[in-house]
Amino acid sequence: MNPLLPFKARITGIKTEIEAVRTYEVSVEGAFHARPGQFNMVGYPGVGEAPISFSSIGRNGSFSHTIKAVGRVTEFLDGLKEGDIVFLRGPYGTGWPLKKAEGRDILLVAGGLGLAPMRPVIETILGKRTLFGHVSLIYGARNEKQILFMEELRKWGKEISVLLTVDEVLRPRSWKHNTGLVTDLLDQARTDSDGSIAFICGPEIMMRFVCRGLIMTGLSRSRIFVSMERRMKCGIGHCGHCQQYGFFVCRDGPVFSYDEVKGLPDGLL
Amino acid sequence: MSTKRLVSKEAFFAWLDSLRKDYRLLGPAGREGQTVFREISSSGELSMGYTITMLSPGKLFIYKPEEELFTFRTEKEIFIDTPPVPGEKQLIVGVHPCDTNAILYLDRTFLGGYRDPYYEARRKNSFIISLNCSTASQNCFCSSVGSGPFLKAGEGCDILLTDFGDMYLAENMSKRAEEIFNIKGKKAGRKELEIKSAKEKSVLATIEKTVDVRGLDRLFRENMNHPVWERTADERCLSCSNCVMVCPTCFCYNMADETSLDLSTGRRLRHLDACHEIRFAEVSGGNFRQQRAARLRQFVTHKMNQTGQYGVIGTVGCGRCITWCPTGIDLTEMTKEIRKT
Repeated sequence: MNPLLPFKARITGIKTEIEAVRTYEVSVEGAFHARPGQFNMVGYPGVGEAPISFSSIGRNGSFSHTIKAVGRVTEFLDGLKEGDIVFLRGPYGTGWPLKKAEGRDILLVAGGLGLAPMRPVIETILGKRTLFGHVSLIYGARNEKQILFMEELRKWGKEISVLLTVDEVLRPRSWKHNTGLVTDLLDQARTDSDGSIAFICGPEIMMRFVCRGLIMTGLSRSRIFVSMERRMKCGIGHCGHCQQYGFFVCRDGPVFSYDEVKGLPDGLL
Repeated sequence: MSTKRLVSKEAFFAWLDSLRKDYRLLGPAGREGQTVFREISSSGELSMGYTITMLSPGKLFIYKPEEELFTFRTEKEIFIDTPPVPGEKQLIVGVHPCDTNAILYLDRTFLGGYRDPYYEARRKNSFIISLNCSTASQNCFCSSVGSGPFLKAGEGCDILLTDFGDMYLAENMSKRAEEIFNIKGKKAGRKELEIKSAKEKSVLATIEKTVDVRGLDRLFRENMNHPVWERTADERCLSCSNCVMVCPTCFCYNMADETSLDLSTGRRLRHLDACHEIRFAEVSGGNFRQQRAARLRQFVTHKMNQTGQYGVIGTVGCGRCITWCPTGIDLTEMTKEIRKT
């Protein structure tokens, strides 16, 4: 098998989430097994590829990617419609350590688009709810208009505790949640420091302060996991772009324990 | 057990020429006043006494500086055409120990986890004849990192040569060498191996550049903000990437798609890339190595430590990055400065 050859996937649905962000439901022929936290190289011949994590993983080769149009590849994808094809390589990377989370209280912290790679985690937990302890999700966005998956957040709130916050409120009268940084809400999440596990995904500077905040609550560094973003061209530990001091983020990550990546140069953790 | 024997150079080169019908012959040969690794049509073109070439054979003929990964065409839909696997057999002669070790290093990247099919095919189709060094250049520091001037382990090549005047001491290192390297010679015994060992010592004595690599992982980790990074970057580094381009172990690449003007056909290429390039670690919304000093540090530390990546040091001590740096930046000197303070 040639890992550098992309395969076809058909777009079976597109949903606009927030401004410039769309979720692409795609399906591929044949077996395709991905784990939450992994990613595909998504692209099109003649345009290029970008690493995009799964925002949902279904059965029978269907899954979704939630993508913001910010660069050459993602802006091209933004012009596609239902029924069109895209080209993929993957799934790559390690994924969230969900096995390790079984039987434990789980704290999920996401910022901005960082909720997308977290969604398959939440879907997995809700699908096997009894396997996990208390689950909290803290989610922060720039403002109300930048909140991803609002409908799902409401739905999830019935089974796990969901705390929402925004940096700035556009319409104060209708906003019933929090204002400020996600770190301000760490105290409100129920974590049993002895056994809890935390998954964090968002801007690296946010993850830095969440990690430090969690350590202050007594959580062990080896049970705090972050999902890192780096430039990637190959996804298979060859092209070198995502290297961070010996690690290939694409292959050894993108999910790392905080222990592994804390204090590495050229990063913010 | 590898067969060791003394063969006359005349017989060796005649044997080499006889392989031309089956192999593309590659080796060190003159071009415009320099010795470069290139295709030869006769062994008479070879300059086996060369010291070092600008580019290493591994990154010319096994890991290609530019490679077409696939082509595509647009009809009603778009189709990707599977590329042919490189099938040509090639023989690379005269590969020095540093460059032989560099190929082993590239193996770790391209065959270690996911296998790169282009590299793998070329690697399998390459018969490698290494040549222990008779001289050292002023920037060689192979002896400090265990990769030369003589090849230690039997890995990485099919035949290992040591210059014995008008003879070569030829040691078969692979099964296929036993099969095709069938010329007569005098069996080498203890005496010849003693001479080989004395030759190694005499070359070793000419190597001037050394660097202490013990504990570099920790040393660098503790000195990520050492002034040497910023000072060298500000005063001397041009981010030209010469060091990366001539480095036999640097493996980074970029991918680029080329399309015809009417967009009906195209191809995806990969080509060498360098961590000195400002956009190398850029992502949407930021750049993890915006500063030149950070990019220089990435290069130097990737070469000199990070044994955690593959369990071996990232340099083979060929010294090319020093030789070809327009401002003479020397990673061994930077390492020494950090160790000193």
